[in-house]
Amino acid sequence: MKYETVIGLEVHAELNTKTKIYCGCKNSFGSEVNSNCCPICTGMPGTLPTLNEKVAEYAIRMGYALNCTINNVCKADRKNYFYPDLPKAYQISQFDVPLCEHGYVDAIVDEEGHTKRIGVTRIHIEEDAGKLIHADTFAGSLVDFNRCGVPLIEIVSEPDMRSSAEAKAYLDSIKSILQYLDISDCKMQEGSIRCDVNVSVRPEGQKEFGTRCEMKNVNSFSAVVRAIDYEARRQMEVLEAGGVVRQETRRWDDLEGESYVMRTKEDAQDYRYFPDPDLLTIVIPEEKLEELKASIPELPGAKLLRYMKDYGLPYFDANLLAESVEKAAFFEAAMAAGGCQPKNISNWLLGDVSRILNEKNLSLADTSLTPEKLCAMVTLIEKATISNTAGKTVLEEIIFSDKTADDVVREKGLAQISDASALEGIVAQVIEANPKVVADYKGGKTNALGFLVGQCMKLSKGQGNPAILRELLAKALG
Amino acid sequence: MNFYELSASQLHKMLTGKKCSAVEIAESVFGRIDAVEDRVGSYLCLTRDNALEAARKVDARIAAGEEIHPLAGIPVAIKDNICTKGVTTTCASRMLHNFVPPYNATVMDKLEAAGILMPGKLNMDEFAMGSSCETSYFHPTRNPHDLERVPGGSSGGSAACVAAGEAVLSLGSDTGGSIRQPSSLCGTIGLKPTYGSVSRYGLVAFASSLDQIGPIGRTVEDVATLYGTICGHDRMDATSARREYPNFAAELTGDVSGMRIGIPKEYYGEGVDGEVKEAIHAALKELEGRGAKLVEVSLPSTDYALSAYYIISSAEASSNLARFDGVKYGYRAENFEGLTDLYEKTRSEGFGDEVKRRIMLGTFVLSSGYYDAYYNKAKLFQKACAAEFARAFEVCDVLATPTSPTVAFKLGENFGDPLKMYAADICTIAVNIAGLPAISIPCGPTGSLPIGLQFIGPKFAEDRLFRASRALEEIRGNLCPVASL
Amino acid sequence: MNIDIKHIAKLSRLRIEEGDMEKFQTEMQNIIQMVENLPDVSDQSLGVDRNNAMELRRDEILPSMRRDEILQNAPKTAAGCVVVPKTVE
Repeated sequence: MKYETVIGLEVHAELNTKTKIYCGCKNSFGSEVNSNCCPICTGMPGTLPTLNEKVAEYAIRMGYALNCTINNVCKADRKNYFYPDLPKAYQISQFDVPLCEHGYVDAIVDEEGHTKRIGVTRIHIEEDAGKLIHADTFAGSLVDFNRCGVPLIEIVSEPDMRSSAEAKAYLDSIKSILQYLDISDCKMQEGSIRCDVNVSVRPEGQKEFGTRCEMKNVNSFSAVVRAIDYEARRQMEVLEAGGVVRQETRRWDDLEGESYVMRTKEDAQDYRYFPDPDLLTIVIPEEKLEELKASIPELPGAKLLRYMKDYGLPYFDANLLAESVEKAAFFEAAMAAGGCQPKNISNWLLGDVSRILNEKNLSLADTSLTPEKLCAMVTLIEKATISNTAGKTVLEEIIFSDKTADDVVREKGLAQISDASALEGIVAQVIEANPKVVADYKGGKTNALGFLVGQCMKLSKGQGNPAILRELLAKALG
Repeated sequence: MNFYELSASQLHKMLTGKKCSAVEIAESVFGRIDAVEDRVGSYLCLTRDNALEAARKVDARIAAGEEIHPLAGIPVAIKDNICTKGVTTTCASRMLHNFVPPYNATVMDKLEAAGILMPGKLNMDEFAMGSSCETSYFHPTRNPHDLERVPGGSSGGSAACVAAGEAVLSLGSDTGGSIRQPSSLCGTIGLKPTYGSVSRYGLVAFASSLDQIGPIGRTVEDVATLYGTICGHDRMDATSARREYPNFAAELTGDVSGMRIGIPKEYYGEGVDGEVKEAIHAALKELEGRGAKLVEVSLPSTDYALSAYYIISSAEASSNLARFDGVKYGYRAENFEGLTDLYEKTRSEGFGDEVKRRIMLGTFVLSSGYYDAYYNKAKLFQKACAAEFARAFEVCDVLATPTSPTVAFKLGENFGDPLKMYAADICTIAVNIAGLPAISIPCGPTGSLPIGLQFIGPKFAEDRLFRASRALEEIRGNLCPVASL
Repeated sequence: MNIDIKHIAKLSRLRIEEGDMEKFQTEMQNIIQMVENLPDVSDQSLGVDRNNAMELRRDEILPSMRRDEILQNAPKTAAGCVVVPKTVE
C-alpha cells in the first residue's frame, strides 16, 4: 500500500528584544550562569510580571508577515506544570486567544519557484524556560535561570505538509522571514529556533488523518528532515505489520537517528490553563497595528519569485539577493538606475563585491560603492570599453573611494583596445613566439586558439579586446 | 500616658513639636511588646535593632530641622507575607520558615522612604488561608480583648498587635476579609482598599485577582494616612491602577449629612448573631442623627459569593503556591529519591492541611473536564456580582453591613471544620469578588467583645468610607482603646 | 461528585497519607458540594475585556540581581546554580 505523510510543525523562536518578556533583565545568550536574573524571572514569592511591549509588537509583525488575523485584544494564560527549569511552576503563555491566528505562508518548494501554501494556525507569545546542566561527574542537575523569561513566539502550522522536503521549505521560509524582520537571531546552535514535529501517515486517498506522534528536541532543520523521514517510515512499518499507531510524544535523538517514547496519551499532562490573574488584558491600539503593518517590507519569498520572473534571474541568484535586505535593496536601485543586464549586476554583487565584503567583514553600507557606480562600471564592460578582468581592478579602486569607474579607467589606462590595426602587431608576435602551438592548431587542435588569445591578452597588458584578438588570430592562421 | 497608646497623628505632632523622640516611641512600643507579647503572640519576628536605628535617623532629621512624613518615627508592623529585604518573610509557613527576601515589596519601599519604624513581622494564617490565625505553622495569636479567643484571620497578628498597643499601625492583606474580619474581632479599624490601588509587588500571592494590602490602625485618620502612603500606581504591578489619589488624611471629615447609607438585607440574615445586628443598627441610627439617610437595598448574589470565592481563590492559589518545591528557597525535605519525591515530600511536609486542601481544591476546579463547570462559572458569577454592586451604588453612597457574623470565637472552636471556618467570611467576601474598597470599624457597646461595622464603597471611593467612619468616631470618641492586658 | 483525591494530589505534587485520605476526601466533597450551588449566569459571556487593559513595559534594560543574592535562599547550590536531583538518565 502507498502511504501519504502528514506533517505539522510548531516552531519556537526566541525574539531578540533587549529585555526579557516579563522583567527588565537583559535578554542575551551565552552569559555566565544565573547572571541575567532577578527575583521576577526566578519566580521568587511576591514578584509580578510586566509584559514587554516589544514582544507583542514583534509577534504582531510576524503575524502580518504570515498573513494572520491579529487579535489585538487578547490575554496571557498560565500553563501549569512542575519542572526545575520553570521556577514559577507555570509558564506564562497564551491559550484560547493567541495574538495572531489564521495565517499562511507560501513556501518555495523547488528551484523553478513553485510554491505551496501552508496554513499557520496561530502565533502566540510565551516565556522560555531555564536550562538544566548535566554532567556525568555530578550526581545532580544544575539549573541556570538565565533563559527564564526570554521571549518566545510559538508558530503553529496546519498539518499541511506532505513530505520532509516541504517541511524544510516551510522552515526555511519562516526562518528567512524572522531574519528579514530582524525579530529573531535564528541561531539554531544556540537554540534560538526550536521545533516540535507532528507526523502521521495515512493510506493514499484516505481523507481522515492518521494518529499523530509529536517529536520533541528536534534542534536543526536537517534533523527535522531526518526525524520526519524516520517517523513516517516507523509508522508505515507499524501499519504494514497490521499494527496501530499510538498517540504519543517521542524524543528525537539525532545522533542515533531514532526517536524514543517520552510519554503516551494516557499520561498526557493536564496543564490547567487559566488566565494569568497578575496580568490584565493585552490591548494593542489600532493606530499601533497600522504602524506595525506598514513596517512589513516585501518578504524574501515574494522578492525571490519577483526577481526570477521580472529579471530572469536563476533561483540561486534570486535567493541569495532576496535573502539579504541590503543586497536586495542595492540590486533594485541598480536596476532602477538602468542600462545594465540584471544577471551582470547580480554576478558582480554576489561575486566580487560579496567576496570583498566577506574578506573585510563589512556590509555594503560601510563602502563607497553606490548602485550608480556599480552600474557605470558594468556598463563599461557591457559596452566592451573595458574587459571583465579590468573590471575587477576597477571595482577594487572604486569600492572604497570617491572615484568613478571612468576615473579609474582613465588613470590606469584600462580601456580596451578594439582597433584591429593596433592589435595586429601583437598577434604577429604571438604567432612567431609559439610555433608549436600554432602547429597544433593547424593540426586540428582548435582549443589551442584559446591559449594564443591568452598570450595576446598578456602581451597587451589585458587591454586587448579578446573577441577581436580571436578573430585576428583565426584569420592569420587560416 | 504611654506613647504606645497614642495615635500616629498625635505622635507626629509630638515629634515635630519636640515633645518626644522617635527613639522614645520605639522604646515605649518595645516595652509594651516585652510586657504582653508572650500572651498575645502577634509577632513572628522582632526587628528591634533595625527599628531603633530607623528611629535615630528620624530624630537626626528632626534635629536638623527637616520636614518629616506623618509616619516618620511611627511604629508600623508588617504582616509576614509582605516581602521585607533582609528580614524573614515566612507567610507563617514551614515552607518559608527561613526565607529572607533579597528585595522589598513596593509598600515597604514607600514606608521606608516615609521613615517608619518596623517593630517586626506579624503572625497570620498560613499563606493567608484562614480566619483565626490558628493555621500558622509557628504559634496561634490570641485576641488581646480575651486571650481565650482568636484574633480572627488571616491578618490576626496585624489586628492583635494594634489592639494590644504592640504597634501603632500595621499592614495586613485581604483576600476574602483578612484585614476586616480580624479588625472586627480585635476592635481595630481595618481597610481593604480598592483592587489595584495598592501595589501587590512583594506581597506573597494567595489569590492574585483578590489580594490587596491594607492598613490597620486605631483611628480613622491614622488608617487614612497609612493608606495614602501606600496607595498609588506601581509599574511593577500590571494590575495597579494608573490614577491620582487625594490626600485622604488632610481631607478627612465626618460630615455625613445627605450621605445615603445602603442596608443590604442579605447581610442581616440568620447566620448573623443578634448582638451584632443590634450594635450595627444602633450605630447606623446615630449616623442617621447626623443627617445620613438609610436606604434598603438588595444584593441577592451575596449568598453565592462564598462559593465563587472558594473556586477563584483556590484555583489561583494552586498555581501561585506551585513554586514552593524545595528547589529555589524555603523548606526542602531531607530524604528523597529523585525529583518527584523531592517535590512531593517537600510540599507535603512544608504545607499545613488548610493550604493543602485549598491547593487540591484549586487543582481540581482547573483540571481537565471541570474548568467550565467551576472556574468559568465562578468568573461569570464574579462579573454579575460586580454589576449588582454597581447597581446598588446608583441608589446609595456606601453600604453598611456587619463585618463578621459573630464576635471573636474561642481558639479551637472552629478549627478543623473548614465549612464552619469559611462561614466567618460571609460578610466580607463579596467585596473582594467585586474588587471594592471596604472598611471595618468598631461599633459595639463598651464592655462587650468588639463588633465590627463594615462600610463598602464603589471603586476608589475610600474617601467615603473614611467619612462615614470618621462620623462614628466623632460621635463615639475613641473607638479603639488599647486592650488592657 | 466523586473526587479522585489521589489524582488531584499527584497533579498538585502533594502526598496524602493513606490515613488522611478519607478525611481529605470528605472535606473536599463537602466544599465542592457547597460551591456547586453557584447559579448559572448564562446570559453573560466572559471573553477578554478590552476595558481592563494593562500598560505594557518599555523594552529598557533594568539591572539584574547579583547571583549570590539570587541564590541566597536556595537549599542547595553548586557552580553558581541551584541543584536538583538528576533529571536525565
